[in-house]
Amino acid sequence: MEQQQDPVIVRHRELERIANMALRAGRIMMECGASVSVVHGGVGMIARGFGVEDVGMRSGYASLEITVHAGGNTITRMMQVGRLGVNHRLDQAVRKLAVRVSQGGMSVDEVEAEIGRLVRETPRHPAWVVAVAVGIACASFGRLLGVDWAAFAAVLVAGTVGQYMRHQLLHHGVNVFIVAGLIAFLAATLGGIGSILLTSDTVSLAMMASILLLVPGVPSTNAQTDIMDGYPTMGSARAVWVLMVMVFASVGVWFAEALLGLRSL
Amino acid sequence: MFELLPHLLHQALFGALAAAGFGVLFNFGFRALPWCAAAGALALAVRTIGQDLAWSLEGASFAAAIVTSCSVSLLRKQLGPACNAVALAGCIPMVPGAFFGQALLGFLSVTAPNLVDAEATLIVAVQSLLRVIFTLGAIGAGLLIPAHLLRNQDF
Repeated sequence: MEQQQDPVIVRHRELERIANMALRAGRIMMECGASVSVVHGGVGMIARGFGVEDVGMRSGYASLEITVHAGGNTITRMMQVGRLGVNHRLDQAVRKLAVRVSQGGMSVDEVEAEIGRLVRETPRHPAWVVAVAVGIACASFGRLLGVDWAAFAAVLVAGTVGQYMRHQLLHHGVNVFIVAGLIAFLAATLGGIGSILLTSDTVSLAMMASILLLVPGVPSTNAQTDIMDGYPTMGSARAVWVLMVMVFASVGVWFAEALLGLRSL
Repeated sequence: MFELLPHLLHQALFGALAAAGFGVLFNFGFRALPWCAAAGALALAVRTIGQDLAWSLEGASFAAAIVTSCSVSLLRKQLGPACNAVALAGCIPMVPGAFFGQALLGFLSVTAPNLVDAEATLIVAVQSLLRVIFTLGAIGAGLLIPAHLLRNQDF
């Protein structure tokens, strides 16, 4: 006798696949620097594209939860979110995919495959290009702050080395706050020594400019966006994260200034 | 007015370089990077003009963020949903990271032994921190208000 499957269980399994796939897309958007309202919007578009009638979401700093309801069945699923960074091209690619899914005509398998392809194939700039670009950005920040031309070169080198080392440390899974402290110490020390060797009159400013690669500009504006969009919990979590990064970075600069004799410990 | 032009161009140039540099860090594509640079130049130009008119840093940053957000919104057809991200990248050079560092270093100094002028150190640190909070608020509000009013698409 052929064993029949319970139709309720089958529908739950289908809903579960939709929920998990939508959560995966949301997790990528979150890890790429999207605000909570964008993540909720994208996840909702994907889920509704598969006929889900109601979507409820909750976003924490390290997890996403979704409740989907369709055809009298409801399930809730949760997914961990990794380190939050910024990846504009992947973020935009997933948003475009959400639009395509919302228009219908794609299967869950196709969307899962497409998400995997986007994660694998969305291009990233090589680490050395990013390092040089960030070095130029730090040196430019320095000019905006008032560092002289002698310190400009020192900040450029310090920012480039600092960004390259940050990339390597994060790639090896070192804690983001420890990385902030270490890189602040390294970059500030390099910027300070370089400025002194190049007889700059703006050594302290150059040391500060050298660590500006660590200032979390996107998370700090995202914190405000989330609060204004009605997600104060997430906004507050982002603000605390920004504060912690800056505390560690400041301690790094403090030790660098002490090492160069500009400050006593 | 013309004597201010070199300073204005200097600020715009380095605002553009800073925005483009951070655009690379944020993995903007090569076609979007010139827009990031243009947004950065515009933001720094407006902020510099504001400060030359004796506005506060917070007021000038707010005006710069509004002008940048509105200008980028006009390019919605070319940039699509990325226009909000381009405006944000343009405003990154205005994030007062150096003041943030100075504020925290100031607070660390207050706890140091044998501090000579604790009150002055504390006041400078508090001033820097308040400047950070208000400037970040001004940039965020300046970016968000036009995006909401002009109904920029996120998708």
